[in-house]
Amino acid sequence: PIESTVPTYPLDPFTTSPSPLSSTSSDDATPDPIDAQEIYDLVANITDPEHPISLGELAVVNLSDITVHDAPHSPFSHVQLEFTPTVTHCHLATVIGLALVVRLRESLPARFRVDVRCKEGTHSTAEQLNKQLGDKERVVSAVENASLREALRKMMLSV
Amino acid sequence: MRLNKLTSLTVHTDRVWQSQPHPTLPLLATASSDCSVQIISLHTFTPIHSLDSGHQRSIRSIAWQPNTPHPVLATGSFDATCGIWRYYPTTGDLGEYDYSTALDGHESEIKSVAWSAGGTFLATCARDKNVWVWEELEEDNFETLAVLQEHTQDIKCVAWHAEEVLLASASYDDTIRLYKEDVDDWECCAVLEGHEGTVWYVQFEPREDAKRLVSCSDDLSVRVWVRVEKFDGDKARPMSILRGDPVREDWVLESVLPKAHERSIYAVSWSPRSGRIVTCGGDGKIVVYEETPKTTWKIIAELGNAHGFFEINHVTWSRRFDKDGAGPEEEIIISCGDDGVVNVWVLEE
Repeated sequence: PIESTVPTYPLDPFTTSPSPLSSTSSDDATPDPIDAQEIYDLVANITDPEHPISLGELAVVNLSDITVHDAPHSPFSHVQLEFTPTVTHCHLATVIGLALVVRLRESLPARFRVDVRCKEGTHSTAEQLNKQLGDKERVVSAVENASLREALRKMMLSV
Repeated sequence: MRLNKLTSLTVHTDRVWQSQPHPTLPLLATASSDCSVQIISLHTFTPIHSLDSGHQRSIRSIAWQPNTPHPVLATGSFDATCGIWRYYPTTGDLGEYDYSTALDGHESEIKSVAWSAGGTFLATCARDKNVWVWEELEEDNFETLAVLQEHTQDIKCVAWHAEEVLLASASYDDTIRLYKEDVDDWECCAVLEGHEGTVWYVQFEPREDAKRLVSCSDDLSVRVWVRVEKFDGDKARPMSILRGDPVREDWVLESVLPKAHERSIYAVSWSPRSGRIVTCGGDGKIVVYEETPKTTWKIIAELGNAHGFFEINHVTWSRRFDKDGAGPEEEIIISCGDDGVVNVWVLEE
């Protein structure tokens, strides 16, 4: 049901997004910790920008490359996801990385800080790519771009 | 010491990027991803004006022009334009702000705008790797004085010296560059290298004889840099060293402040009243540092989750104007975050 989870500004963590993980089914003050499998399930069905195949099927995202530290009482929780581009010179690696950042920031509760990076040695411009994906301002301004937003929306149709 | 929240203002519907107090009047301007600027009274902490018809994308940065008869504001937006807004008083009500001019020139998102101390020059910087220097010849007539193409990447922040015509820029290329006017040209006079990540913010020490500037970075450090004065009395020194590059200034690292942040440090503010420094960042913390003795900095206050779980994009010192304040020397700290909220803090024993 991604259509309803793409607001005007998909990156705003405070726009309420009907994600399975931010559901308020429990009024417990301490939320259940989120694990790597739940993170994987959020992103595995995003489709490749060029083919109707999911990032999970292409092994661009892998459960073993997701690290989660979710301690409900610490100031913030942390997810690191390393993705593996299909080829080392993949020109769409930035778009894939952005889709992963957007999906996770939008779906996870506000306590999460999300770091998406390219797995070491899997891309020719990994360092450059990682710096860009780690720059909040660059990510926000990229997602304000209408054509990029449309590309991301298409990738998330089957999420 | 402790940071106590004086008030919390929910004046935006989206991320707040920056807030700036007016240099003399009790006004605060805030810039947001909701494409608006709000003007807030620092007497009453209530919004007075909403400026929402000038930009189609995030307003990333704002700056009040000093020395104007009525308030004038510059806005820098991700739509690549810089807006100039003028306040016109009207009889019987609050007056209004007009969007008077758009400065075009940048090819991509503007990240920061800053007026020089006298209000003569305006600097803007963008992801296009350029810093533009504009001069206002007469009202709404701006001339481009320089396009400075020294950085190799996105430029995050520009800042002016409090007296000298000296400009600093901080970049995604991990460096800070300084520029000054040399005869008819603007030239890069120093490159400050040392940060190991994007430099998000830079500010000169807020005093007219300032010889220092402070910067903060993705590398989780806050650094104070100092200008090494040229040694011009020494006749024995070979002239050729100086003759080759009269514009060149030498700036060196003076101190690295104690480490307190766990995520990118997005802003730093140096108080002209107390000399204290305050920082904020992606970890949701606000940290206050004091210099005792000179060049030795210690943390005197630290507050986590200052905007709930959200990241804090900007923090600044301001004079305190509300009726519960003790007088003009008292100061407040104003922070703004991804929660769309502007928080006002007092530092207390």
